[in-house]
Amino acid sequence: MKAICERAALLEGVNLVSGVVAARSPRPQLTCVKLDATNDANGPELALSATDADLALTVRLGRVEVSEPGSSLIPADKLRQIVSAEDNEPTLTIESDGDTAHIKGEDAHFQLHGFPADEFPAIPSFKSIADADPKTIFTTSAGTLSGLITRTLFAAARENSRYAINGVLLVRDGKKLEMVATDGRRLAKCSATTDAKSDPARCIIPSKALSMLLKLADEPEEPVHVAITDTRAVFAFGDDATDARATLSTSLVEGTFPPYEDVIPKDQDIKVTFDRDVLASAVRRAALLTNEESRGVRLAFKGETKALELSSRAPEMGEARIAVDLAGYDGDDIEIGFNPTFLTDALKVITDPEVVIELKAPNKPGLVKSGGDFLYVVMPVNLP
Amino acid sequence: MPTEGTIPNADSAPQPAAEARAAIRRLPPLLVNQIAAGEVIERPASVVKEVVENAIDAGANRIVVDLEGGGVELIRVSDDGYGIPPDQMPLAVAPHATSKIAAAEDLDRIGTMGFRGEALASIASVSRLRIVSRAAGEPEGREIAVEGEHEADPRPAARAVGTTVEVRNLFFNTPARRKFLRTPGTEQTRCLDWLKDLAMAHPALAVRCVCDGTPRLDLPPGQSPRERAVALLGKELEDQLLEVSVDRMGDARGVVVWGLVGLPSIARATAKAQHLFLNGRTIRDRTVQHALREAYRGLIEPGRHPTAVLMIEMSPSAVDVNVHPAKLEVRFRDQSMVHRAIYHGVRDALGKADVTPTALQRLPGLGSGGGPMAILPPATRPPMPVEQQVDRLVEFLKSRPAPETPQDDEPERLRAEIRKVLDEPLPGTFAGSERHEQESRHGTPEGEMPRVRPADRVLQIHSSYLVTQDAHGVVIIDQHALHERVMFEKLLARVTGSGGGAGLERQQLLTPIVIESNRDTVGALEELTPLFDRLGFEIAALGPKSVGVRAVPTFLVSRGVEPGAFVEELLDKAVEEGFTPGSEEALHEVLDMMACKAAIKAGDRLSDDEMDELLRLRETVERSGSCPHGRATTVRLTIAELERLFDRR
Repeated sequence: MKAICERAALLEGVNLVSGVVAARSPRPQLTCVKLDATNDANGPELALSATDADLALTVRLGRVEVSEPGSSLIPADKLRQIVSAEDNEPTLTIESDGDTAHIKGEDAHFQLHGFPADEFPAIPSFKSIADADPKTIFTTSAGTLSGLITRTLFAAARENSRYAINGVLLVRDGKKLEMVATDGRRLAKCSATTDAKSDPARCIIPSKALSMLLKLADEPEEPVHVAITDTRAVFAFGDDATDARATLSTSLVEGTFPPYEDVIPKDQDIKVTFDRDVLASAVRRAALLTNEESRGVRLAFKGETKALELSSRAPEMGEARIAVDLAGYDGDDIEIGFNPTFLTDALKVITDPEVVIELKAPNKPGLVKSGGDFLYVVMPVNLP
Repeated sequence: MPTEGTIPNADSAPQPAAEARAAIRRLPPLLVNQIAAGEVIERPASVVKEVVENAIDAGANRIVVDLEGGGVELIRVSDDGYGIPPDQMPLAVAPHATSKIAAAEDLDRIGTMGFRGEALASIASVSRLRIVSRAAGEPEGREIAVEGEHEADPRPAARAVGTTVEVRNLFFNTPARRKFLRTPGTEQTRCLDWLKDLAMAHPALAVRCVCDGTPRLDLPPGQSPRERAVALLGKELEDQLLEVSVDRMGDARGVVVWGLVGLPSIARATAKAQHLFLNGRTIRDRTVQHALREAYRGLIEPGRHPTAVLMIEMSPSAVDVNVHPAKLEVRFRDQSMVHRAIYHGVRDALGKADVTPTALQRLPGLGSGGGPMAILPPATRPPMPVEQQVDRLVEFLKSRPAPETPQDDEPERLRAEIRKVLDEPLPGTFAGSERHEQESRHGTPEGEMPRVRPADRVLQIHSSYLVTQDAHGVVIIDQHALHERVMFEKLLARVTGSGGGAGLERQQLLTPIVIESNRDTVGALEELTPLFDRLGFEIAALGPKSVGVRAVPTFLVSRGVEPGAFVEELLDKAVEEGFTPGSEEALHEVLDMMACKAAIKAGDRLSDDEMDELLRLRETVERSGSCPHGRATTVRLTIAELERLFDRR
């Protein structure tokens, strides 16, 4: 193959696919980026693909000249370093000659030993998945998708373990599209709608795929085509799913998602509306005097003084008290402890300026609601 | 024949069944004594103990013990005590005859070693006993010989004032007992062990022991308790022994404890190096042993025993020693007071000491010599006092050209300044004269933890060990072990309340974590609930074979410990080891598990800040020298050792 690429576009594409490449793999081919240069009816095009066996990403670059269609496998880290370092070159020429790739600039010639291109695993296309009898196919927008991910992914368990689901539940039902994440201590649920209905489906998307999707979804209006089968999900960015700018497919997390509907409390007695920023600031400041062993912040709602007092206490450090005025509060007095990080995490992703906190009892879950589409259950901390 | 159902009366003719049944009769005195001997005289060592105690009670200053055949053939104890008056010689070997107590009230204030009045009679009943004694003020001595039942009349004998007790052919007339004796070598060791304990308890007494013609013990008279203990434990251990001193003699029920305890590095696999004394008498007491073990908890590995000599002194009325024939066991009136005194005494001694083992102590093979002692002789040169160093430097500086504007207080200011510098353990650089360098570097300030100066560079080796320096050399820290200790102490402070809080903060879970378990575990759960509750776990049975975890300590969550797996392991351990709910051991056990799981692991790369923080915490935490399992967290390679390794010395 031989292609002349605009360096800036190439770098952006290489950076994106590098995020998928397996860092260490017994198969060195998986640490490579596959380059496919084509020049057909659609015009010249360079596709960059990478996979870590679970996740696969293809990004297509249009601003190229292809003089010789073909493929090449180039170690991802070297490709990225070279393209990034050749920063005063407007274009770079990539050629392949068997297993060897050449990257040429004005004054530079890099010769890289790669692998035969056919040793790279096949990257599933949107079409191959959409044709394989998927449970559902629908189209949403990049903005909707990133909104759902941003407001749930933070609550997913980071560690992969028997008791934690390292992923986010995606629920499709009619026009409704919902994501739910939990790490066993809190649960975030966010919903949206799409223009058209599609078949219902549920699947757990791995966190790594969602992080990649966030990076790809930088144009809010861009359509995202989604197809889900029993084992895989695919997301194609662009007007046409088969001719997408970027296509990401991922294997799904096996396992059962906890029955989250049962966890969401329905009969909270105490409901308080806060200005998001006021509450966030109070929690953040109260959290200053917490540490590993004294994690919790106490929230004391007082009906008489119409105030909320947040307090924290780390025996070896000291204590903090923050007062928040609750002009409209007419509920009972209640004191409840929370891990401030859990509250802050949610307040950070809420876009609406108002949040509602709903409580029932000190040992019962707390509920954070915002904008009608976001719901967050957080379990209290018993402070000694 | 009596008909069935009637009770045969005693006068009826002998019947088959009754033939086997012997009539009750009073035992002959010899047999009585032999039975009594069974309790007191088990083996040659018991004879040595009884006879030497008698010698001590007789005010001896010098005792010579001869042993042959491990004491089975011959035990001869000669003393220079008061001796036995001629008319009392026969009584000495009679049972329950003693000069030490006269009435029951005396039992409440026993001040002598013996008092039961059965030792010599017991010995006489199972051996060929000969006593030669001359009481002070008598013109000549007397000899009496007893062999089983045959007691020869006392006859005159030549002897200086004092008593010799000679026991030959022990157990010659009780073959069953003889059969249970071990090899002469073992019996001899046991005799010597007793003798050493007695010698330790009476440091002023000269003790000499000759075994089969070879002198095995020769202790000079008039030693201090410390000299005597060191002589018996081994001179080479001297600089690894810490002095324990507790004085709680507030009133008649108080206690005074003095002793020497070994650094954790010289703990042994058996308790043989533990010598416990109460009012000069060897004891084996659970309270004392437990207090000692607790004081070392976390400093030595489980299953190892600290080296210790502990002399407990208390009013005889505060303790009952008449519990056990060999008087090994005692009963304290106020057990917990004794426990506290020993625990705190030993703990304080350990707390003040630098328990950091040196690299060559841990790896004796590293150096040129054999054992660690061959490599590391105790510091012979005492460190030069700071005052002297200051004087020398002041002189040196004064000899230089005077500053342009001399001030009156200049020398004083200088003195203060220099003192400040010298007081600070300054690693690496050895400023000053050649002699100062020589002398200051080996001055290990006793009883002070090695303080790593924050400015010192810290190096992480293989993502597992931190290497830095302190005043005495290279300090190597096991990052996991140290962090584990730090966590443990923090948690312990939280749970026991000294840190301000009561119990650990707990995070409720959205849905309980379900653990498949077994009936044993589920059964034990109820009892363990208060313990778990205190530690921030809410664990409840969900069914006969499953448990649910509803809350876990926030601390574990924030350290990224997976709660399900942790609780599973915790329950297994609790059942397997039979945790006693409410016991300190169980609490420590669980906290240790938590600390271990939450601590940074070997292989975790640490940032500079994290390393600094860990070293800072090291200074703030008690017992930072070892992890809760008792393994060392820190090892030091001293400058002296480095010099040795590089053949500079």
